[in-house]
Amino acid sequence: MSTVAVAARPRVGVVKFASCDGCQLTLLDLEDQLLDVVEHFEIVDFPEATSARSAGPYDVLFVEGSVSEPAHLERIVDLRRRSRYLVTIGACATAGGIQALRNWGDHDAFRDAVYAHPEFIHSLARSTPIAEHVTVDAELRGCPIDPGQLMELLTALITGRRPQLPDEAVCMECKRRGVVCVMVSKGLPCLGQVTQTGCGAICPRFGRGCYGCFGPREQANAAGLTRHLQMAGDRPREEIGRLFAGYTAWSEPFRSMVTELGGAGRGPADARPGSTTTTADDPAATGGTP
Amino acid sequence: MSAATNPPVDERIYEVGELTRVEGEGSLRLRVRDGEVVEARLGIFETPRYFEALVVGRTPDEVVDMVARICGICPVAYQMSAVHAFEDLFGVRIDPVSRALRRLLYCGEWIESHVLHIYLLHLPDFLGYESGIAMVADHRPVVEAALRAKKAGNELIKALGGRPIHPVSVRVGGWSRAPRKAELMALRPALDEGLRIAQDTVRLVAGLQMPPFARETRFVSIKHPSEYPFSDGRIVSSDGIDSPLGAWRSLFEEFQVEGTNALHARSLDGKGVYLLGPAARITLAGDQLHPLAADALAATGMAQLIQTNIYASIVARAVETVQAFAEAIDIIDGYAPPQEALVPWTSRPGTAAWATEAPRGMLFHQYEVDEAGRIAHAQIVPPTSQNQAAIEADLVVAAKEVLDLEHTAATHRLEQMIRSYDPCISCATHFLDLTIEEV
Amino acid sequence: MVTAIFPQPRGMRSQPEGPGFLARADLQVLMDLLREDQRHLIGPTISDATIIYDEITSVEDLPIGWGDDQAPGRYRLRKRADERLFGHVVGPTAWKKWTFPALVPLTTATRDGHKVGFAPETTVPPKLAFLGVRACDLAALASQDRVLMGGSFVDPDYILRRASVLVVAVQCTTSSSTCFCTSMGTGPEVTSGFDLALTEVEDGVLVDAGSAAGRAIVERLPLRPASSAEQYGAAATVAQVRARIGDPVPMAGLHDRLLAQLDHPRWAQVAERCITCGNCTLACPTCFCTTLTQRTDLAGRTATTDRTWDSCFSPGFAKVAGGSFRSRPRDRYRQWLTHKFATWVDQFGHYGCTGCGRCITWCPVGIDVRDELNAIAPAVPLNPETVLVDPVAATPNEFVGARVIHTKQETADTTTLTLTGADPAFSKGSTGQFAMVALPGFPPLPISISRFLPDGIELTIRGAGPATTAMCALQVNDQVGLRGPLGNNWPLDRAVGRDLVIVTGGIGLAPLRPVLHAIVAGRRRFGDVKLFYGARTPADLLYRDELERWAARDGIEVALTVDRAGPEWTGRVGVVTHLFDQADWDGSNTIAFVCGPERMMQATATTLAGRGVPASRIHVTLERHMECGIGLCGHCQMGKYFVCRDGPVFSIAQLGDTFGREGI
Repeated sequence: MSTVAVAARPRVGVVKFASCDGCQLTLLDLEDQLLDVVEHFEIVDFPEATSARSAGPYDVLFVEGSVSEPAHLERIVDLRRRSRYLVTIGACATAGGIQALRNWGDHDAFRDAVYAHPEFIHSLARSTPIAEHVTVDAELRGCPIDPGQLMELLTALITGRRPQLPDEAVCMECKRRGVVCVMVSKGLPCLGQVTQTGCGAICPRFGRGCYGCFGPREQANAAGLTRHLQMAGDRPREEIGRLFAGYTAWSEPFRSMVTELGGAGRGPADARPGSTTTTADDPAATGGTP
Repeated sequence: MSAATNPPVDERIYEVGELTRVEGEGSLRLRVRDGEVVEARLGIFETPRYFEALVVGRTPDEVVDMVARICGICPVAYQMSAVHAFEDLFGVRIDPVSRALRRLLYCGEWIESHVLHIYLLHLPDFLGYESGIAMVADHRPVVEAALRAKKAGNELIKALGGRPIHPVSVRVGGWSRAPRKAELMALRPALDEGLRIAQDTVRLVAGLQMPPFARETRFVSIKHPSEYPFSDGRIVSSDGIDSPLGAWRSLFEEFQVEGTNALHARSLDGKGVYLLGPAARITLAGDQLHPLAADALAATGMAQLIQTNIYASIVARAVETVQAFAEAIDIIDGYAPPQEALVPWTSRPGTAAWATEAPRGMLFHQYEVDEAGRIAHAQIVPPTSQNQAAIEADLVVAAKEVLDLEHTAATHRLEQMIRSYDPCISCATHFLDLTIEEV
Repeated sequence: MVTAIFPQPRGMRSQPEGPGFLARADLQVLMDLLREDQRHLIGPTISDATIIYDEITSVEDLPIGWGDDQAPGRYRLRKRADERLFGHVVGPTAWKKWTFPALVPLTTATRDGHKVGFAPETTVPPKLAFLGVRACDLAALASQDRVLMGGSFVDPDYILRRASVLVVAVQCTTSSSTCFCTSMGTGPEVTSGFDLALTEVEDGVLVDAGSAAGRAIVERLPLRPASSAEQYGAAATVAQVRARIGDPVPMAGLHDRLLAQLDHPRWAQVAERCITCGNCTLACPTCFCTTLTQRTDLAGRTATTDRTWDSCFSPGFAKVAGGSFRSRPRDRYRQWLTHKFATWVDQFGHYGCTGCGRCITWCPVGIDVRDELNAIAPAVPLNPETVLVDPVAATPNEFVGARVIHTKQETADTTTLTLTGADPAFSKGSTGQFAMVALPGFPPLPISISRFLPDGIELTIRGAGPATTAMCALQVNDQVGLRGPLGNNWPLDRAVGRDLVIVTGGIGLAPLRPVLHAIVAGRRRFGDVKLFYGARTPADLLYRDELERWAARDGIEVALTVDRAGPEWTGRVGVVTHLFDQADWDGSNTIAFVCGPERMMQATATTLAGRGVPASRIHVTLERHMECGIGLCGHCQMGKYFVCRDGPVFSIAQLGDTFGREGI
């Protein structure tokens, strides 16, 4: 993660790839701090929030969403060229998102779909994180990102220091806050030990195990955790695989666990004839570009 | 794309390649030839993420978490439609307090979503600004109040679910953790202030200049005998539909239209396009409004206008914000923790189907659950995809109103009209029915 | 060797007037007194299916009738059959949550153009009373006192917070399977460091004051003197707790033992299980590592530095610009364990662990430090087999008599004498020990005991000089003088469950013969047992009938070799190491006993090491010039050892590079 001295009032863009919008919304959800932020940053392009547009160049570009269709490939490269400092925000941009579960599908089968929807041709076989296509200067993990970490990054950009985004386990946050470990006290499987902190230990605080939406942390011993869950919890392999097959499944070592144990599914196992789709005016044949 | 050659007739193209101040990626294209609309298209080019395929093979609780990711603005709506569908199929009776907490959660989302839309997405159009942020220079107190109101909604979701976007505690059977009374009471001051801000908002938007527009609209919403509709009741319409919530597929169907990533919907009775959302709910279920919301609506005198002028939906949205604050306060005041925050359940195979009222309108889920308790098939029909036909029908009407405006102003007016729907485009394109046939 | 500073456990502290008895019905009076003066009372209470420490106000807040079941990685509440208030042990909360909180603002910095300013933040801590502090946690408070207040640099925030705490300790009347305060010397008895100490009895608590503040409270409590039955019962309950916990981690010499094992393979093995999540360090009541985080406003004008709990397990803990000093999980686990159980002693004079068991219970994957310590740095075994009997005639002047009842000529120059009538201590000696054997007019000589009998011993003697020749010539009913049994033994109990390799030559089988007898007597306790024995000629092989019997009937693999032989010898010829240096066996689970000329032992040790037998499990017996056998004449000194007293059995690991070094 590099630091860069940004301009006095940095020009900021916010762009979206394949995603739900939640991470961009976190910026607008800064509430009382939002007006302070827009005083220090000039938001030049943020389609969800403003009709003002700019094609760049950007001092800071926030990128939400994963690369999921052919047009994205060129678009991200183009955006990278126009940005001094590119920050990926959220599990889709940093890890490929929940939609990356389709990466375990049979890609040939995808292409042989019975209903050859024209849009379908415009989908890549894989949903991948931004960093697989261009260099990324900083990333904010999470599904969605944490507003505190967003403010920390914005502050770091202004003050010129390295953003404090610790690489430790969620467990540390649980213990600091006095949250009782759900694995030890309730036997609930929890990925917190192998997941990067940042959320404030939300899931254990609310009585359930962490599902890894901030992605695997550095040196995550997913294999050790898997062995323990299998032996101590007597859980079948596929159930443990589904634990890892979540919002950051495509990141290692979660990815290897899913590949080894299963859990990503293959999509609809059987086509249902006469399902919800009917075609009007036979658009399947045309395959036009929107 | 502009017309490169001189058209032989008077053809005007109003186009916005990427709509702004809407959620998600959509485009607008209106082609008018000799005063006749020949093309009215809300194009949605948001990338599909195949949720209906992703949930296959997963368990109900996993699905509740996953479908939230269809939309960052209305994740709770997806969790609610899913969880009620499963509980209905499995015969799960949740604690009555759990049910109240779910209404409270929905209140939080309606507040956050409606305030976001009114102030940050839509109001700038009426006041002539590019964004809600740009309004700060001249209207700082108004924007700050809006942000405080939005924050109150988010803090409510956070108190119940851990975070305002993709909350974590909604489970089949209830809640992984129920809040303590003190935690909810701590929100009261902000909710009280939010209620006042919402009431001010109704007055503010009722005083706005509404562009002229009129179309007899067919409304569809959920209706309940004693509550303003959230997650319970029956599907009703302004022309006689009255069916259980799980019966969406007997009333409507989805179909694909070229040039857009979102499936459209139509009613099977052939009676034409229909509209979901605040205007529909106010019209069909207005008798169940909280007294404070009903008073606010009455004071505007715009109940009739809401039924025909889509631009006036901002007023309907503001009234519903009063509704959400008022109900939230009532629920919190009467709250005592549930006996059993999470009741045990076992899955049953079959069809789980339910609809709830997302901020933007009725959201329908249907799941086939297999013998092993896993999802075998999913269908999710968001309000915006159902509203597409209505949007395009309204574009046709709006075309007449803008013909004599200057081109840029006309295009802006059309965008403003689309924003009146508060379209949630990520929702509309969460899916494509991914049917795989092995060769 | 450093010993823990925790005082030896004693019974309840006695006062001139003895402890008082406070009825259960009056306990609220105590709680109200503790909360006077805006003091907040922190005590055990149930939250989220766990007994945590949190602010409480009334007796009803206590976990009445609840106990806990704890195991590595597992905690469950358990309803008790009674209504005890303190019938549980420690939960996940450590008292450091209040004395050393997870987040403390330290400094606020301001920037104004070129000028910068740094202002220390001081939090005025609230007054607190801790109710329910167990002995292990008292020791933890004492540890943090030493670390944070007792050195050259002190933490002012800790000082303030610590001073504002009133400590009400509670004696443990139950224990958990994860407790090991007994081993760490910190409990279960509460002995000091408290203002009040309570011991729960049937219908109330015994109250003991430990300070002026405590006495001030005691004076205002409706106490009556505790009866001696009550006091005795309370002490007995705590003693039962001690007995139930036992001694899970033998501590003697742990510091040195652990630091000698920095390359133990177990570090890598535990690192495969360890997730480096940091739970153990943050649950631990003595861990004190912290990190600094910065909070700035957007304008960058003000910045506050906060101190927050950190863990040496985090990957970034030891990072500098060039990389991390402890990049591997095994390095970080080793850092934690060696700090807690060894280097902490060097730094602060006491062990960093108080035996509370939290790191065991709250490790999500159930790693148990006691198992790890016992695997990496096992204690010298103290089981009855190897308790060495006190030798008799143990001064330079004395000898006791013994009578020859049988002689056997083993080989041309070697005779075995069977002796009886000696002090019974000789029969209780251990395999590998020797006796100083004396005949009038001859210098006493060290002779290995080659057999232990119920009423005597056997000595196998090679007539190499005048004294040994005289001994070989003894007849039945002749007498000799003995001192012993002396020296240490072959550590046969460390061979339990392992494969054994015994390598010897010539007379060297004599000190090993008792080992083989013991193995045969309990053959099932050991794995493969191989004896490799060489002699100059077949006629020089000792105990031939026993060799045959061991091989044929007793499950010992016997391989013999001679240097040279006549045509009647059909066995191997060559040096004894050749018997096993070609074989393809894995020595990683093997323990080896080797006896012979030193050069032979060196060659054997090298070959065994090449087969994967670790140096700590290759044992040799050394021969040196001995005249007293009890370490007073100085002749048998080798390096730091006296062979007669510290040996004659040593492991290669112990000897290090003195073994085989010329001139030592």
